Amino acid sequence: MICFDNLSKRYPGGFEALKNVSFEMAAGEMAFLTGHSGAGKSTLLKMLMLMERPTSGNLLINGKNLNRLPDSQIPIYRRQVGVVFQNHQLLLDRTVFDNVALPLQVSGYPANEIGRRVRAALDGVGLLDKEQQKPVALSGGEQQRVGIARAVVHKPRILLADEPTGNLDPELSGEIMALFRRFQNVGVTVLIATHDVNLIDRMQLRIMRLEGGNMIDDGADYGRY
Amino acid sequence: MAATDRPREAVQRGASGQKIKLADRWRGYKSHHRDTIRISLLKMMREPVQTVMTVAVIAIALALPAALYLTVENIQRMGSNFESSAQITIYVHKEAKAETIEKLQDKLETLPTVASVTYISAKQALLEFKALSGFGSALRYLEGNPLPAVFLVQPIVLEPIDLAQTKDLVAAITELPGVDDVQIDMQWLQRLHSLTEVGHKVALALGATLGLGVLLVIGNTIRLAIQSRRDEIIIVKLVGGTNAYVRRPFLYNGVLLGLFGALTASIMLYASVWWISSSIADLADLYQSQYRLAGLGFLRFLMLMGLGGLFGLVGAWMAVSKHLKDIEPK
Ligand SMILES: Nc1ncnc2c1ncn2[C@@H]1O[C@H](COP(=O)(O)OP(=O)(O)OP(=O)(O)O)[C@@H](O)[C@H]1O
Ligand SMILES: [Mg+2]
Repeated sequence: MICFDNLSKRYPGGFEALKNVSFEMAAGEMAFLTGHSGAGKSTLLKMLMLMERPTSGNLLINGKNLNRLPDSQIPIYRRQVGVVFQNHQLLLDRTVFDNVALPLQVSGYPANEIGRRVRAALDGVGLLDKEQQKPVALSGGEQQRVGIARAVVHKPRILLADEPTGNLDPELSGEIMALFRRFQNVGVTVLIATHDVNLIDRMQLRIMRLEGGNMIDDGADYGRY
Repeated sequence: MAATDRPREAVQRGASGQKIKLADRWRGYKSHHRDTIRISLLKMMREPVQTVMTVAVIAIALALPAALYLTVENIQRMGSNFESSAQITIYVHKEAKAETIEKLQDKLETLPTVASVTYISAKQALLEFKALSGFGSALRYLEGNPLPAVFLVQPIVLEPIDLAQTKDLVAAITELPGVDDVQIDMQWLQRLHSLTEVGHKVALALGATLGLGVLLVIGNTIRLAIQSRRDEIIIVKLVGGTNAYVRRPFLYNGVLLGLFGALTASIMLYASVWWISSSIADLADLYQSQYRLAGLGFLRFLMLMGLGGLFGLVGAWMAVSKHLKDIEPK
């Protein structure tokens, strides 16, 4: 499903955030991406969102080389990916409902369908009673869960999460991970960047380790279900 | 690369393997447009000062050239009103015999562009002059009648006004036997004509200049709107919003501003015409004229609205194509 092939990313200014990274993930696989702060975890996820383009090497999704994807096709590609951002990136002047509805609106879903799916997603993160609140009226953890609901509301084929449990207590993180597990079970490929060691230890999952932009262990032979 | 059981085209559609039915997609599209307009209106109402100021500037910039245009047009209509009363005065030779005068009258009446002919004999002319001038007693000391007989000729007036035709008529009459002199006061008509022509051009130039101003004002308002919604644009792009989707609310915003501006301009014009027209009507009645002020009219109201909307669209488009591409998620 996801295939990094000798991919390097040099930021303007010369800093090489990813160095010859290669790994593969099968459809329906779930893995952690870990490493110290500044190791390149967010950069790797940005490559998958086409927020950044590789300096060299290839990135293949479902066999298609994203290097050859024209800019006009980027929105269409992004609709099959769900992302939970490190800073949850909610629209503060819109309700929780409207925030979660956004990925469906941009894809042109009819209103009744949007309502049904948004409520299902909010139910999944336990925030159904907050749908008419503004994000500022929510706690950090609740905002994070709104971000998660938005990432999964359109049933993406790939789910990326950057520190999704950063603001959550262990119990809630456990629930969120269980939610991600449910998505994995219906065939979604899930990649979670985190340095939450407790979380990693509790879950028996494949672990990819980045260090200074190098993939020192792609975990392909470890914890694979 | 792992195999997947989902059809490949689903990836291209990006709808996570579940296609949205075409009819649903169309319904979603329509309701999205409705929502976009509604949200644009709400956003404009949430910043009333900014909105009112922009709309007022647009309205004034549209109303000024339109008012000038209406003024010129009304002067033109007034001119053609006068033209119909532009008589040709023919002074008959003092020595002309009665039969020459009779023949002259026949000839004048058969000319193709003549509407009516009135004969005023020398005696009648003198009587009228005495009665009107108040020089009655002084004239008694004159030997005989110093006034010539006169024909008053009313030419047929064509729309649009054809000055050349009137000139030809004057030339033809001058050639007729028994005619001493022909007078027509056409100079001021000609002046009026060139004046209204200048007026039209000024209105056009003013319209073009102020139109450019409208574009810049709308462009600037949209630029500010884009900047204040930067975060939103980035998030929309990250969840798969196309450029067209991101653009749309700003284009609607521009069109709405233009339409509101044109509507306000129309109200201003209707109000001014209504305010002035009662005095004009009184004035016209004094001169026994049927002349009435011509207002904006429904057709030109629509034209003004169309123009406002178009300016709004173009201004917004300029701002959007300049500033939106800088905003990419990073
Ligand atoms: N836009 C950018 N321009 C230049 N350098 C950048 C840019 N974004 C990231 N970097 C650099 O690339 C390196 C990797 O950044 P990245 O955000 O991928 O780290 P990370 O693993 O996500 O760290 P953290 O755990 O703190 O989120 C960092 O050293 C950072 O300074
Ligand atoms: Mg990071």
